[in-house]
Amino acid sequence: MDRWQYLLVLVACLAITLPLELFRPGVYRHAWRAMRAVLPVAAVFVLWDEVAIHAHIWTYNPAFITGVTIPFQMPIEEVLFFLVIPLCALLTYNAVSAILERINRR
Amino acid sequence: MSGLGYTVPAVLAALAVGALELTALRTGLFRRPSYWLSMLIVVGFQILVDGWLTKLSAPVVVYDDRQTIGVRFPFDIPVEDFLFGFALVTAVLLLWERQRERR
Repeated sequence: MDRWQYLLVLVACLAITLPLELFRPGVYRHAWRAMRAVLPVAAVFVLWDEVAIHAHIWTYNPAFITGVTIPFQMPIEEVLFFLVIPLCALLTYNAVSAILERINRR
Repeated sequence: MSGLGYTVPAVLAALAVGALELTALRTGLFRRPSYWLSMLIVVGFQILVDGWLTKLSAPVVVYDDRQTIGVRFPFDIPVEDFLFGFALVTAVLLLWERQRERR
């Protein structure tokens, strides 16, 4: 079960932020816009991460990851991190913006 | 502490994202209260998630202490992680905002 730990943390992040999609305009509803915001940044950070792993600046504890990697040495969880965390941030920004607009309109 | 292989890129990444907005994208994101309030919330949750991932008792991510300035706060989070997170999240929000303007 421990091997799923990192993955489960990411799943929890997605689950907790999912209700924020109810605020307009939403993030998942604008998948293309979201992808064009998330993917270029994720590409840069994945590259940075690969270099850091190769340079042994940080490593991942094999006890808490599934062991599935993408080339060259990156745990699949770390790739997902760069998709999940930005999505959570976009959902937060989406909700905060909607709430502030509602308050300002009063 | 010797190489600062994490500290230096983290500082550069944060500066690069700030410069990207101020010189090229000019979305106005930094003038929006909703951005700063969102960042406050993001940092709050980062402390929970990152605190879990970096806790020294059972770390998911293991750092070479020679590559950081060695300050780990709060919990056992290397302070560099906050620059890393700022750069990651702000860059994504900038690209999100930029598409609003094009409409």
